[in-house]
Amino acid sequence: MRNVPTLLRRELNAYFASVLGYLVIMFFLIVMGVTFAVIVSYLNRGPTQLTAMKIMFSMFWVPSLFVVPPITMRLLAEEKRSGSIEMLMTAPVTDFEVVFAKWLGALTLYTLMWALTGLYVLILHYFSLGVASLDLGPVAAGYVGVLVIGQFLIAVGLLTSAMTKSQVMAALMSFALVFMLLIVVNWMTWLFRGETALRMLGIAIPLDRFFKAVSSFDQMEDFARGLVDVRPLVLYVSGTALVLFLTTRILESRKWR
Amino acid sequence: MQPMIRVENLTKRFAGLTALKGVSFEVKRGEIVGFLGPNGAGKSTTMRILTGFLPATAGRVAVSGVDVFEDSLEVRRHIGYMPENNPLYVDMRVREYLKFRAKLKDVGRADRKERIDDVLEMCGITDVCHRIIGQLSKGYRQRVGLADALLGEPDLLILDEPTIGLDPVQVRQVRQLIRDLGKQHTILLSTHILSEVEMTCNRVIIIHRGKVLVSSTLANLIKPTIEVEVRGGPRDAVQAALRSVPGVASVRMEACDDERVRCVLHPKPEADPTEEIFETVMRSGWKLRELSRSRTSLEDIFVQITREEDEAEEDRLDQRRSLLR
Repeated sequence: MRNVPTLLRRELNAYFASVLGYLVIMFFLIVMGVTFAVIVSYLNRGPTQLTAMKIMFSMFWVPSLFVVPPITMRLLAEEKRSGSIEMLMTAPVTDFEVVFAKWLGALTLYTLMWALTGLYVLILHYFSLGVASLDLGPVAAGYVGVLVIGQFLIAVGLLTSAMTKSQVMAALMSFALVFMLLIVVNWMTWLFRGETALRMLGIAIPLDRFFKAVSSFDQMEDFARGLVDVRPLVLYVSGTALVLFLTTRILESRKWR
Repeated sequence: MQPMIRVENLTKRFAGLTALKGVSFEVKRGEIVGFLGPNGAGKSTTMRILTGFLPATAGRVAVSGVDVFEDSLEVRRHIGYMPENNPLYVDMRVREYLKFRAKLKDVGRADRKERIDDVLEMCGITDVCHRIIGQLSKGYRQRVGLADALLGEPDLLILDEPTIGLDPVQVRQVRQLIRDLGKQHTILLSTHILSEVEMTCNRVIIIHRGKVLVSSTLANLIKPTIEVEVRGGPRDAVQAALRSVPGVASVRMEACDDERVRCVLHPKPEADPTEEIFETVMRSGWKLRELSRSRTSLEDIFVQITREEDEAEEDRLDQRRSLLR
């Protein structure tokens, strides 16, 4: 793992050497900024149980869906297409070091973007001074949730990039996968509301509870409320471990062909 | 002393294609070996297996005694590799790129700057070290690739078509550089440019259709020849007379018609029977139309060998076809 810092630095340079890094951050900030403004004006109408940040975090799926594919699509697909993967793999670095560093690079960019929304928190804090107290606990928990889910989706995006030489294919695949993981799973919670259990081999599998447990929307809501549940943390971290392992295998599979 | 590279019975199969069929060869320390073959012969595949980028389907490959399959990481530490088409990161600057590669190759912090300056100078790219690689000409990019291969002070340099796409001036410079590097490194380079092998290498391995056809020093391969054209003598008599000349190792009939007989002779090593041939022809009363000395070019040998192999392959295929009928 010695070479990871070197590889990581190269990845970050690559994001900002081209227009991509700046473009993605710009898009993200525009969307989140407008959303924030709309939320605040909406909340101006009267007192509610909702907080601005809670609503912000409930919109997490928008940047996930539209930011993760662009930042992950080039990671391995471009190297394969240009042949520079050969230079990389013939240096004394392991396949896993390469995969891990690329994942970390995308995650760093993603974290940077979300960190910039800290500005909104500052704004809220400034305007609520002496009027109401801004509860920072749920805000921090919300950021934790966003990052934990994000790191998993980035791993998925990296996986799709490893599977093809075409950045476009990688982007399409990761978009589809993120859509399924976030949106479709959430639809499933509505589908299986109530006492719906699947009877298989005489065992009742409680699908409603299963989908509720894996639904990112429900999990994000909990995080935004300040509830940091260990279970989704474990789910996403171990999910990332699995996906990074698979990606390393795919990279190695050139050795089987 | 262990050979720098030992390849035993290397076989590589891709889906539907056997790229290498039992290739075996050795490269000793300090040699500059040219890997020569037509396109598709298996040169790049062999190099990719040597550097650990691809695995072999069968066979053993060892670099400096270390098996490439078992300890690929260790092998990679001792090799400087420049692949075909030299794929570099075009968005980085030259010095930046070399610094990145130096770190990957464990060039210590204290030595790094000096080492980079050294390779920049060796490859003649000190002036462009601040430019973006994507903006450099092909010749300069090739040199950056070469500089990268030299960074880790490797014992072995593996260069896949190092002069491809360069203009004649650049080609000369790179060849001179390779000759200079050969004094301190072992080099395996692949090419399909025959004159390149003649100019830079001390040994050549000819590979065709995944098989090694020839592995020998250039001196052994390129033999001096004498061409003789005689008029007035019957074919067999001329051949016999020429064979009888002391110092002549072999005679090959090249062409003959009613009037003239043309032969190509190989002299024995260290012998020069030109004058004896002249006298023999004169004594027999024939007319000597041509007597010239030359060296078979590597190109002739190469074309001859690959043609022989192609014909042999055709024969094998015919045999198989006839068996199937």
